[in-house]
Amino acid sequence: MLHILKLLIPALIPSWNFFDIIAPSPRVQYALLESENETSHEWYEFRPRPAHLSFLQMLGHMLWNAKWNESMFVVSCAERLMEQPTQHSEDEIMQRIISDLVGASSKIQLNTATHLQFRLLVVERQGAALEQEVVFYSRIQPLPARDAV
Amino acid sequence: MSLDYAIRLTEMLMGFAFAQQCIEHFKSQASERNLFIVRLLLAIMLIIGFQTRWVAALLLLLGLAILRRFQGPYNGGADRMSLLILCCLCLVYIAPTQRWQEVAFGYLAFQLVLSYFISGWVKVVNKDWRNGHALRDVFLFSAYPASESLRQWSKSARLLLFMSWGVMLFELLFPISLFSSTSLGIALIIAAAFHFANACLFGLNRFFWIWIAAYPSILWFQQRIFITL
Repeated sequence: MLHILKLLIPALIPSWNFFDIIAPSPRVQYALLESENETSHEWYEFRPRPAHLSFLQMLGHMLWNAKWNESMFVVSCAERLMEQPTQHSEDEIMQRIISDLVGASSKIQLNTATHLQFRLLVVERQGAALEQEVVFYSRIQPLPARDAV
Repeated sequence: MSLDYAIRLTEMLMGFAFAQQCIEHFKSQASERNLFIVRLLLAIMLIIGFQTRWVAALLLLLGLAILRRFQGPYNGGADRMSLLILCCLCLVYIAPTQRWQEVAFGYLAFQLVLSYFISGWVKVVNKDWRNGHALRDVFLFSAYPASESLRQWSKSARLLLFMSWGVMLFELLFPISLFSSTSLGIALIIAAAFHFANACLFGLNRFFWIWIAAYPSILWFQQRIFITL
């Protein structure tokens, strides 16, 4: 109950400090592995943004922007993981990557992959250049059996 | 605008905003989807005006369950504004007198004003916002731009400086618009356009709908305070 109250209070007495500082920004990348002991050399960006959106697409997103809002939640979980790692945040990200991989929209071939791992990078500006650094590696998670999905 | 009319309008707009949010969860996993199916049904009841007091109370309880499910807001500020409106409406319903109803609904209007003013204040005291570098960083590397092509905006220094000051001045001057109903109407149209731009550029569509749901409170508040004085 106290925990719920802690979550509710920022809504009742909001800080409204949107975009006050532009903090280092997290990116989620994942790797498909063929065993739980494998070390990945190939990382894929989770839900890369589209190259371009037409104004009509933007208008459509006023009513239906489910994937994007879910991606923003994944960013929130990534920020939470960077501040104070919790099982919940890791699970939420893992589950949404798996959902994409086994879903019809996946462009990545699972082939012989049996396991999955994700990592978090932070991107920030140092002077005129952008720098990125890996700050978190998730557990290695077995992928669900193909005929189970 | 009467208090009753403003409250009814808030219920309808919030119901619509909630319905839009819920539909976006229909392709989620079952445990998540079920919460939002119930929420959608309650939102529809709110729109048609069926037992709004009880429906708002149930929506608040469901809101707490959703907070627990995601261990915080799913959609940041939009979820916080959703809960704020819901809490204020619930307080209005249980208020013993009309004066206390006005206090509860006025609190929503007050927070709406603060949502713009404080956002402007925290920016204007930051040197990076004053010289346009902060907005450049938003487009350059933040998670918000909705497409890769929008990242190119980070190269338009003059445009970003103009946009930064436009946003900061609008947000800081918003409270002044309360002095007349005409200026408030104009300010709210600009504010809605600002949220629309954020929805197009950064995909923040939920902010657009839920902030508009709070507008009846400030339209009522302006008339209550500045016309009766």
